[in-house]
Amino acid sequence: MDLLETIFDTLVSFTNLGYIIGLWFFFKKCRVKCWYALIPGFRDFKLSIIANRENDGRRFLFFRLINTFLYTFRYFFDKDSSEYTTVILLVMITAVPYFIFSLRIYLGLCERFGKRKRWTVCWIFFEWYAALYWAFSKSIVYVADEEDDIEAVPVSGINTVGSGKELTINIKERTVKSLFSKRTLLKDIHLNIKPGHMVLLLGGSGAGKTTFLNAVTGYEMADAEIILGTDNVYKQYKTLKHNIGFVPQQDLMRGTDTVYRTLADAAALRLPTNIKGDERKQRINDVLDLFGLGMLKTSLVDKLSGGQRKRLSIAMEFISDPKLFILDEPDSGLDGVVARGLFEKLREIADQGKIVIVITHTPDRVRDLFDDVIVLAKDHDRSGRLTYFGPVEDSFEFFGKDSFEGMLLAINQKEEGGEGRADELLIKYNALVQTAAVGGEA
Amino acid sequence: MEEKLRYSGRFKQTLIYLGKLFRMFVFQNDWKVFPMAAVITEIVVFVISKNMFVNMEGTVKGAFALSCICIWNGMFNSIQVICRERAIIKREHRSGMHISSYVLAHMIYQAVLCLGQSAVMLLVMHYSKMKFPETGIVTGSTLTDLLLTFFFITYSADMLAMFVSSLVKNPTTAMTVVPFLLIFQLVFAGTFFSLKGVAKDASDFTLSKYGINAICSQSRYNDLPMTSVWKSLDKMGGIKLEDLSTQLADLNENETSPQNIANAQEMIQEFKNQTPYGNKFETVKDILEEMKKQGKKDAFEKYCGKQNIKQDYESTTENIAFCWGNLIFCALLFAGLSMISLNFIDKDKR
Repeated sequence: MDLLETIFDTLVSFTNLGYIIGLWFFFKKCRVKCWYALIPGFRDFKLSIIANRENDGRRFLFFRLINTFLYTFRYFFDKDSSEYTTVILLVMITAVPYFIFSLRIYLGLCERFGKRKRWTVCWIFFEWYAALYWAFSKSIVYVADEEDDIEAVPVSGINTVGSGKELTINIKERTVKSLFSKRTLLKDIHLNIKPGHMVLLLGGSGAGKTTFLNAVTGYEMADAEIILGTDNVYKQYKTLKHNIGFVPQQDLMRGTDTVYRTLADAAALRLPTNIKGDERKQRINDVLDLFGLGMLKTSLVDKLSGGQRKRLSIAMEFISDPKLFILDEPDSGLDGVVARGLFEKLREIADQGKIVIVITHTPDRVRDLFDDVIVLAKDHDRSGRLTYFGPVEDSFEFFGKDSFEGMLLAINQKEEGGEGRADELLIKYNALVQTAAVGGEA
Repeated sequence: MEEKLRYSGRFKQTLIYLGKLFRMFVFQNDWKVFPMAAVITEIVVFVISKNMFVNMEGTVKGAFALSCICIWNGMFNSIQVICRERAIIKREHRSGMHISSYVLAHMIYQAVLCLGQSAVMLLVMHYSKMKFPETGIVTGSTLTDLLLTFFFITYSADMLAMFVSSLVKNPTTAMTVVPFLLIFQLVFAGTFFSLKGVAKDASDFTLSKYGINAICSQSRYNDLPMTSVWKSLDKMGGIKLEDLSTQLADLNENETSPQNIANAQEMIQEFKNQTPYGNKFETVKDILEEMKKQGKKDAFEKYCGKQNIKQDYESTTENIAFCWGNLIFCALLFAGLSMISLNFIDKDKR
C-alpha cells in the first residue's frame, strides 16, 4: 500500500514538474514572463490573457483562491464533525465554477491558436502533456508575433493652448488598471474647439469615443487637462458639471412621469437655485417649445414616440443652458427625416455660441451641419489615438475619401473589414501637427 | 460682483424624488400593494384566526405566519425599485443628484407604503374577529402595539430588499436572490426548527426572529394555555393503564424481564391507589374524561403552559422595545449600506 502511494506521489510530482516546464516555455513562446509558470492559479490567469479570456481568468482565479482557502481550512475541524462536512461541501461547490472557468480558458486557447476543441480535454486531464506539447510543437504558433515587431507610433506630445473661450483638450493618457495589467484606452489627444462649433466625433468600434467624452466631461478623469473657457474642468468639476450637458445614447427617463414633470425635475436638479420660480417655469416652457414638446406637456413619457423621447432626453440636459453640449448617438433608432430635424436643432444650439460634440454612426446625411470632425482610431497597441481634428472639408482631403463612411473604412482594422490604415494616418496627422506647431512658433 | 451659483441641496433633492415616487404610486400602480397585502393577510388569517392569541401553539404559528407576511410584503415592495432604474440613477448622479437624497426619498416613501400595508393587515385581522389581547404592553393599545410591530418588520425587510436592489444590476438577478433571503428568514427564525450552534447564532441575524418574539410577547404568550399535551393524551386515549406497565418496564431497565414487568405493575397500582377514584380508571381516556367532568381541563392546559415559559416571549416593555430596536437598527443599517453601494454606481460598466 505504501509502495503504491509512493509511486502515485512520484507520478504526481513528475506531472506537476512537466506542467511547470511546459508552461515556462509556452509563456516564453507567448512573450509572457516565464516565472509566472511557478505560481499556481496565477499561471492559469496568464493563460487566460493569452487566450483573450481575461474576464474568465479573473473569475477562475477568484474561485481557485476560495477553493484553496476552504480546502486548507478543513484541517481545523474534526473529520467527523458537521463543520468538516460543510467545508468539504463548499469546496465541492466552488470547484464547479472553478472547473467551468478553466474550461473556458482552454477553449479560448484552442480558438486563439486555431486548434481543435478536443485539446481542452487534454488540458484538463493531462495538463502536463498539453503544456509541453504546446510549448515545443512547431505547429503551435503565437499569432501576434508579427504584429509585436511593428514599432508603435510615437506620441506627438504637443499641447494646445486656448485663448480663454474655447474648449481646450490635452489628454496625455487614460488608462485602466485590472488584475496585474494596465491598459491604455486613450493616448496623446490634443485639440481646441471654438465656441459655436458643432463637432462630429468619429471612430470605429472600441476606438474610445465614449471614453474620450467621459474624460472631457470629467466624469472619468484621465491624465489630462481640460479647460472650458478659463475654467479647469477637473479642478472645478463640482460646479462645472452643471455647465456640461451629456445626453446618453439610451433614453434614460422614467416612463411613468409626465413630460412637464420630467423636465421640471431636471430643471430643479440642474438649474441654480438663484433662478426664481417664474423664471424657471419660463425656461421650462421655452425649452419645451424649442424641442417641439409644448403640446405634449401632460403626456406620459411612456406614450411618446422614439423621436419625441429623444428630444425630451436632449431637453433634460439643455435645460441648464450648458456651454458644452455632448450627445452620444442622438439619432439611434430614428428615421432619416426625424434625425435630420434633430441635428438641425443641434445646429441652432451651436449657433447660440455653444460647443456641441456629437457621436453618430450615420454622419453623411447631416455632413453640412458640422464645422469640425474629430477622428479617433485604435493604434497598434489598441489605444484610442487622435487621427484627425479639423474642418470637415479638409478632413476629406486628408483621408482621400469623399464621405465619413469612407474615412471610417480607412481607419478600421482589417479584421473589422476596414483598410487598417490607422497607424499610417496617425503618423501623417502627427507630422501635420508638428508642421503646424513649427509654423506657429516661426 | 458675480453672484455665486448654488444648486439644489440634499433636502430639496429629497423632496424632488419624493414627488417623483408619489407620482409613480399613482401612475405605476404601486397602490396595488395594499389590496395585495389584504388578500394575503385574509388567506393567512382564515387559517390562524381560531387559535391566534388563544393558546401557545396557535399564537406561535400565527406570529410566524404574520411575520412571514410582513417580510414578504416588505421585500416585494422594494426588491426592484433601484435595479430597474439603475441606468437612470447613473445619469442623474452625473447631473448632480445626491445618492443620499435619492435613498432618503425611498426610505420615506417605502415607510409610507409599509405603514399602509401594516394598517391593512391589522384591519383585516380586526374584521376577521380575532380575539386580540385586551391591553397593549408598550402603548396601552394592542392594535397600536401590533401596528408598530408589523410596520417595523415590514420596513426592515423592505430596507433589506432595497439594499439587495442597490447591489444587483438588473431585476432578474434581484428576483433570483429573493427566495434565498426568504428561506433564510423562515428557516432561521428558530420557531419550528430547533437550532443549535452556528445555526442558533445565525438566527440572531434574522428579522423574523425579532418579529416573532415581538408578536408573541404582545400576545402574552407565557400566560396562554398549552393545548398540545392534552391533545396528545387524547390521541393516546385508548391505551390501557395496565399496558403502560410493559412500557415502564422498558424504560426502567431497557429489557422486558418478568421482574421488571412486575415492578411496573406495582407502580401503576400504587398510582391508582394514591389517586382519588384511581381504581375506576382503565384507560388514559378515563382520566381525561374525569378531568373534563370536574372542569380541570383549562387548569391542566394552563399548568402545561407554565412549564413551557420562554424568556424570549416575555411580555415586558423592555423585551418588545429590544425587538423593535433591533428591527429599526437593521432598517437603518440596510439603508446606509444601500447609500454606500449606490455611491459606486459610476463604476458600472457601459
